Amino acid sequence: MPPGALTDERDVREAYSAHASELYGFAVRSLGDSGLAEEAVQETFLRAWRAGERFDPQIGSLRTWLFAILRNVVIDLGRARAVRPTVSDEGIEASVEPFDEALLSWQIEEAMRRIGEQHRRVLVETYYRGRPYAEVADELGVPEGTVKSRVYYGLRALRVVLEEMGYED
Amino acid sequence: MKTDACRHWKEDLGAYALGHLADEERAALEAHLEGCAACRAEADSLFAVSRLLPHADPERFGPAPQPPAELGKRIAATIGSERRSRRRQRRLRFGLGFGGAAAATAMAILAIFVLSSGSEGSPEQHVAFRSLPSGVKIAATLEPQAFGTEIHMYVNGISSGTLCRVYMRGPGGENVSAGTFRYRWGADDSAVLSAALDLSRAEALVVHAGKRTFVAPLSNTEAALRNQSQQEEST
Repeated sequence: MPPGALTDERDVREAYSAHASELYGFAVRSLGDSGLAEEAVQETFLRAWRAGERFDPQIGSLRTWLFAILRNVVIDLGRARAVRPTVSDEGIEASVEPFDEALLSWQIEEAMRRIGEQHRRVLVETYYRGRPYAEVADELGVPEGTVKSRVYYGLRALRVVLEEMGYED
Repeated sequence: MKTDACRHWKEDLGAYALGHLADEERAALEAHLEGCAACRAEADSLFAVSRLLPHADPERFGPAPQPPAELGKRIAATIGSERRSRRRQRRLRFGLGFGGAAAATAMAILAIFVLSSGSEGSPEQHVAFRSLPSGVKIAATLEPQAFGTEIHMYVNGISSGTLCRVYMRGPGGENVSAGTFRYRWGADDSAVLSAALDLSRAEALVVHAGKRTFVAPLSNTEAALRNQSQQEEST
């Protein structure tokens, strides 16, 4: 059994307090239903506990492992809900792909939540709303150069947060 | 690296990575990047981030929903009860160990008597099916509950994928369904089922595994005592 394996009920409690809110937030986003999301998170921690001896922190982070389990849980839930069961490989692929896309979206949205409000604000205004820097600067009552530098530091902050979250690309 | 000189350029790199620089500004910056490896590396890493932005939905940058407080407790409770039932199962397997050799009498539909029960004075009952085909083990723990009886089934040695139906036989000989499960090699070989019949009124535990039927009479009931004495007479 690798050191750091998840064998104790206390380990599971610690894993829960560290990661449940992220897993749940993502499950709600990807399943679109808070009841199903609860079910998915519960099943994820049960499976994690049952397979806890196989968790090896040398190989990957606990967070990554839990998200991999959640991925399987969500796929199983999707299969159970599917009107027609998917038999072909294609069908299964199709149910996995939106999960990965949703996970990517969710990670970036989570990173956006974690950077400072000033940084998020200029990224939303200039990038997502496509507004001119001068207009945003006026609205915020700062020089245009400040908007520019906030965009720069905002992107850097985003990069740091994504790294902290274990985003790999 | 001319840090101070680069500072001015660097602050343009964000807008550059987002494609927001006007033509002249961009041309000037790109001329600088030609000759400055540090700024080039910074630009690359900002481009890596900016490529991700289209995947996010700005409507979702607000606070994320939080799991309800009781979810953690519910998970802890489920894990606790699963751990207890594992422990019980280990005792059960240990108890089964000596039965293997004798089980070589290979015919099914034979009953069986009961490895009884409540070693710690608990109300739960351990049930071992005997006279099973060679290599097959079936056992169960029964626990009285408010809704009826909770059944922890332990199966080993039958074909993987076999559908098992479990019933509890009531006082009138009627079978009360306790549900079904599939046995899988390598998977967790126990299943937790429940039947709406009080344990005290149950006469037998019945398992249909594939085409075979196994019956284990239960102790602590008149019917069980009757069965048991019949078995003693016949041996």
